[in-house]
Amino acid sequence: MELDHGLVSDTRTSVRGVWGALGAPHFSQSPRLVSVLVGGLAAVLVLYPIAYLVQASLSVGDPQARPPEAYGLDNFIGLGRYAHIFGNTLLVAAIATVFAVIFGFTMGWILSRTNVPGRAAFEQLMALPYYVTPLMGALAWALIASPNSGFVNQIWRALGGEGYVVDINTPGGIAWVMALFEGSVAFVMIGAVMKSMDPAMEEASQVLGAGRVRTMLRITLPLVLPGVLGAAVFVFAEMLGSFSAALVLGLPARFYVVTTAMYQMVSQYPPRFPTAAAMGVSLFAVMFAMVWLYRRIVSAGTYVTITGKAFRPRVMDVGGLRWPFLGVCVAYLAVAVILPVLTITYASFQHLNSAIPRASNFTLANYKTALSLDAVGSALGNSLLLGLATASIGVLLMGFLSWLIYRSRLPGAGLIEYLLMFPQAVPRLVFAFGMLWAWLIFPIPIYGTLWLLLIAYLTVFLPLGLRTISGVILQIDRSLEESAQMCGATWGYRLRTVTMPLLKPGLIAAWLLLFIASVRELGASILLMGPKAKVITPAIVESWFSASTELTAAMAALQTLAVVAALVLLFAVARRAVQHGGE
Amino acid sequence: MSDADKSGLTRRGFLKTGALVAATPLLVEVPFAAAQSTAKNVTKVHDFQTSADVAKAEQEGEVVYYGHDSEQGIAILLEAFRKDFPKIKTSYVRLQTGALYAKITAERSAGRFGVDVLQLSDISPAIDFQKKGGWEQYMSPEYAAYKPEYQSTPAGYFGVPGVGFSGIAYNRGKVKPEQAPKTWKDINNPAFKDGISVKLATSGMQHAQWYILRKMFGNDFWQEFAKQRPKGFDARAQLFDRLAKGEDRVCALAEYAGYTLYQEKGAEIEFVAPPEGMPAIAIYVGVVNKAPHPEAAKLFVDWALSKRGQAVYQNQKILLYGSLRPDAGPMPTGKKLADFKLLFPTDMNDYVASHPIFVKEWNSIMGL
Repeated sequence: MELDHGLVSDTRTSVRGVWGALGAPHFSQSPRLVSVLVGGLAAVLVLYPIAYLVQASLSVGDPQARPPEAYGLDNFIGLGRYAHIFGNTLLVAAIATVFAVIFGFTMGWILSRTNVPGRAAFEQLMALPYYVTPLMGALAWALIASPNSGFVNQIWRALGGEGYVVDINTPGGIAWVMALFEGSVAFVMIGAVMKSMDPAMEEASQVLGAGRVRTMLRITLPLVLPGVLGAAVFVFAEMLGSFSAALVLGLPARFYVVTTAMYQMVSQYPPRFPTAAAMGVSLFAVMFAMVWLYRRIVSAGTYVTITGKAFRPRVMDVGGLRWPFLGVCVAYLAVAVILPVLTITYASFQHLNSAIPRASNFTLANYKTALSLDAVGSALGNSLLLGLATASIGVLLMGFLSWLIYRSRLPGAGLIEYLLMFPQAVPRLVFAFGMLWAWLIFPIPIYGTLWLLLIAYLTVFLPLGLRTISGVILQIDRSLEESAQMCGATWGYRLRTVTMPLLKPGLIAAWLLLFIASVRELGASILLMGPKAKVITPAIVESWFSASTELTAAMAALQTLAVVAALVLLFAVARRAVQHGGE
Repeated sequence: MSDADKSGLTRRGFLKTGALVAATPLLVEVPFAAAQSTAKNVTKVHDFQTSADVAKAEQEGEVVYYGHDSEQGIAILLEAFRKDFPKIKTSYVRLQTGALYAKITAERSAGRFGVDVLQLSDISPAIDFQKKGGWEQYMSPEYAAYKPEYQSTPAGYFGVPGVGFSGIAYNRGKVKPEQAPKTWKDINNPAFKDGISVKLATSGMQHAQWYILRKMFGNDFWQEFAKQRPKGFDARAQLFDRLAKGEDRVCALAEYAGYTLYQEKGAEIEFVAPPEGMPAIAIYVGVVNKAPHPEAAKLFVDWALSKRGQAVYQNQKILLYGSLRPDAGPMPTGKKLADFKLLFPTDMNDYVASHPIFVKEWNSIMGL
């Protein structure tokens, strides 16, 4: 993004002038080498499996043959007969993105920019929907709002009503669940941007007579536009690849999206990899269009809100609107967390779930069974370990890559962004086949180990980390780093003392997102798990397939409990470390 | 040339033996002598026979199992084996048969041989794996208890540790007694439109039902069924879960094993065994070629096919596979496999060849 106005722009020009006069390069050799290496490594992580996917999509011989027996475009030509499935996918992804961005922006604005009561507590609670896995959310809403057995409809009929009042097995219902549980990332992304925003412009707007709403629409919204757009692009891509909600809620309505169709293709014998791969590869076009759109929008304006001028993020006094805003926060948490968690917990203690409690229907057997399975022993431990490793390594890697793309001026940095968004474009189950084929023949024996899952997670979550961190990077004026450079700070010193502290909110948000995303990852894990390297989410999904909703509910409840406990512990340790550091 | 080719395996050869024609009478005696001729050092462990070197198996200390059953089912199975052989650890990968087979073939084509025992729920990949030389030919002494049609051709590549079968089930609260289905043709009763469920094309059992009823009633039968707008799911638990809650009124592919589990939970469901018979399929288990723990793998397969292992396959309700052993006791429901009229595909060549047609037609019926 270019700066083109005011003092900041002048400062940069003068910095350039000084450096130009000194004959110093904009980008010295050492960081250039590091950047090329890291950028290259990330590109290889993505392109290596993609190459196998593209190869599979062009296979026109025996669908099981590896490498393909013959090549052609038949698989792409044949996609026309799945037009209704592509249509379904775009429909629910679009509705879900609109829902998610509205939820994310509204909640982000209320909690970051207004003096709503209990703001700090709500901010912590807002991460909770992301802890609830999409499968758990979908199962919960199936229990709540299925036309016949949904608790709401059961209660409705018990009160004398007829038929049903809600039906979650509709495109709107699927999009609702997707937005609540897979779109909650929008709040984190938009919220991180809002927190990093200097309130001076909003205050100036109000001083000049604009009302609160007008200030929000005319000042706040345009300033956070990169974050909102980044979140929208990311969420839309996430929704294209959404699986659990469409699987649980779509199948009963004979409503298929690309991911559920692909799942069927690769699950049946013989697996139809070429068609599934062609479907996946065709989604690249959509993703490219979204990334192109995003870059075009952010490069057309200026979104810098953090400049050399000091500021403290402040909130607006919204007067009496505080209470309606509080109601919005409570309502959101109720539908996204409280209701689903209570429903799942309630179902997990039943033989056969029912809204109407009966003493004979309650049992601890589901927990007893769940705890006896490997999936809730070693697999949960593995998931938490992988979550820690992915989040910690991922934040460093993705933070650096964000800086590389938006700050380094390295030739081809823009291209790296396109490459790194690839994993977001393909449903992970299909991408996992690319990784399976790619890493199977890799000479270092990591196949079947947790190392492969770590590599897979770092690859598939590149877009998530990148989008979260880059939304904040775009708000930091380049002149701050350049000032440090002027003062003689080395590249590493600048990164450590200027860029990284300013990126802190984005980095913390990214760490949290990566941790949770890793623990609940499904698509890539299904195929890449080895007999001694298992993770929990596939086992939960499998339990829904082959055991019962009640056992699945118990496993999902245990997973959520473990994730929350791990995070509480981590934050407590981190707080203590910071306090000791302060002393 | 693959090992299988060398062994002279052809599909026709496989079919000549009438593999898995459980509905047909036993034509020849069990070829135990042949099995014995290739078996080495048959020993008795616990109460079953094995040609595996038990001491060596324990020294190997591990068996890696790839299977299609539920996580809970596999855990119970392996726990029972581990209880008998505490020195042998077990680990497993569980996937649906299609994805499982894709995984193991991809691994083997990349030269990675980490699996000892493979269990599949469909004959097509089992034959394909044999053609690719994936199974180790091991003449388990326990094959003596099985008819030749319940073994691979030539024998020794895989055996049949159980059989599953399906009838019709309905929700008693949603279907009036006078409307209750009694025969297969009743699944096309318009009263069940938008309220009937089956499995998706991923299911081997669904393929068997489609094939057998198509033979019985003609292809129009399924075209008529398509008008019911049936809902398709991946697994029996989903079918019975929905049936028990009244989301669907009738399940047209009601596996007996699923029915017993939900009946035990108190679900208001009824099972119907149509007088025409019930479609049935077998599951297949064998030692994988180039297994990292070959003796432990052989020991496991012997155990699985033995009366001892069959008690686990048959009596654990999460598995509930009917045993083909003549000496097997009744199922936990008190019934033996022989008490049911089961319909197996009789022409395996035609059955396997019909799979692509089935997938295409069934996907269309499911709205996919």
